[in-house]
Amino acid sequence: MGLRSDWKYLLPYELLEPNWRLWSFVAVLAVGFWAVVAFPVAQFAGYIDPFYSPTVLIVPLPGVFRLTCYAYRKDYHRHLFKHPQGCSNADRGEAAGRKYTGERNAVFQLENFHRYFLYAGIAILPFFYYDFGYSLVYSGQFVLRLGSLVLLANALMLTGWTLSCHAFRHLVGGNIDCYSCVAAGNARKGIYDKQSWLNSHHEALAWISLLTIVFVDLYLRGLAAGLPIDVTFLRF
Amino acid sequence: MSQKFEEKPGEGTVKLRVRRGVGSDPATDRFDEFVVPMEKGMVVLNAIHYIQAHLDPSLSARWNCKAGRCGSCSAEINGRPRLMCKTPVESIEGDVVVEPMKAFPRLKDIVTDVDANWKVAAMIPPFTPKPGAGEIFRFYQQDVDRSREFRRCIECFLCQDVCHVVREHEADYVGPRWVVKAASLDMHPMDGLNRSKFMKDKGGLGYCNITKCCQEICPEHIVITDDAIIPEKERVVDREYDPLVWVYRHLRGSKEAEAQSFRATGGAP
Repeated sequence: MGLRSDWKYLLPYELLEPNWRLWSFVAVLAVGFWAVVAFPVAQFAGYIDPFYSPTVLIVPLPGVFRLTCYAYRKDYHRHLFKHPQGCSNADRGEAAGRKYTGERNAVFQLENFHRYFLYAGIAILPFFYYDFGYSLVYSGQFVLRLGSLVLLANALMLTGWTLSCHAFRHLVGGNIDCYSCVAAGNARKGIYDKQSWLNSHHEALAWISLLTIVFVDLYLRGLAAGLPIDVTFLRF
Repeated sequence: MSQKFEEKPGEGTVKLRVRRGVGSDPATDRFDEFVVPMEKGMVVLNAIHYIQAHLDPSLSARWNCKAGRCGSCSAEINGRPRLMCKTPVESIEGDVVVEPMKAFPRLKDIVTDVDANWKVAAMIPPFTPKPGAGEIFRFYQQDVDRSREFRRCIECFLCQDVCHVVREHEADYVGPRWVVKAASLDMHPMDGLNRSKFMKDKGGLGYCNITKCCQEICPEHIVITDDAIIPEKERVVDREYDPLVWVYRHLRGSKEAEAQSFRATGGAP
């Protein structure tokens, strides 16, 4: 049960379940690793592949950023570890006989360093905008193509996901108990409120930004394979 | 759901399957079936009242306000923890299955004993005015915006019931409602305690794995996980895990360190 708008009835219910985010993440990790190793397309016609921005060596950092993300934590605890699988559960037995430590054991305590991966994620963000800019001027003249807009969309979604992070929410004002007691309290409350709005879409942004990375990568591979999918809008 | 109201207003009957029994005695545990006439806009609690008035006066159910304000009529309806007074019968496809909350010991039929919650409530370090707060507290709307959300809690304990940690594991986790309580105190502008150490060690906050069932079912639409549990977890990270925050706290000098050691007691005064 749930409140679904009419267009969503057109989609199979499973597609709207969060496990698709988990499995698509697993698929992206696997396919991305395979593609990057087997068929590297780091750059084509001025487009830089997001897996290579700024270098393929840092891919593990955003990978761990996603692994420790609160949105993905929900997904894999529900759908991989089945603790629990769902909330409507007359007699759920999926945890029977299995030890449960939550996020208290040695491995899951690493989730607590999510904010450090956030710092890395923020540091990487400018490179995606650089890639967009580079794709405009790489040939020496200004050229606006469909691929550049795809790169920009990817950069915006990644920015949305990174800046909607719960750790970022804590950093920009969630750690303040009394806004009228600190310097620039009103401004910080304002930023916190706006970030909270963004944060409420964190799960959606987590998935969309993942899809856009894959889409850009596939788009580049399509171009490299000679598909006529790029459109030039402006050139001067 | 709103369309369904228009489709079949007050027509026919609805079948209820109500889980009955006394205490934890398995010999009395059973499902009884009742057929109740449908009425337009009817909620599950209306159907229960109809059963009590016309079919079986021995059916026990706790209720009070019939308006979603008191948090008394919590039950599991078709497997999902909900308030009986806020669940339209027409929103349910097929039979209506009403069971008691499984996270708590049953007294009789769908009445459960939620006393354990008050023991947990007594564990939470209470509101403690910060030094210099004065006799009369003076603060502004923006300072209490966040903790006001948590005041909406009606203590129906549906979040405690749906939480798999409270329900299925013998873990020392206070549960969503009590993290909300701790968060409402921690975020209060005039409160001087830092409950992070308490929440990590005694509150068992690490047991929560962000699966957000509590947030999904809260009848008051409190954003439990995003607004209370995750901020509390981030405060625990500040206090217990983040080396930069640790360095910053120690560089700020003895006054702050003293305050921290006072706060670090984490227990009730």
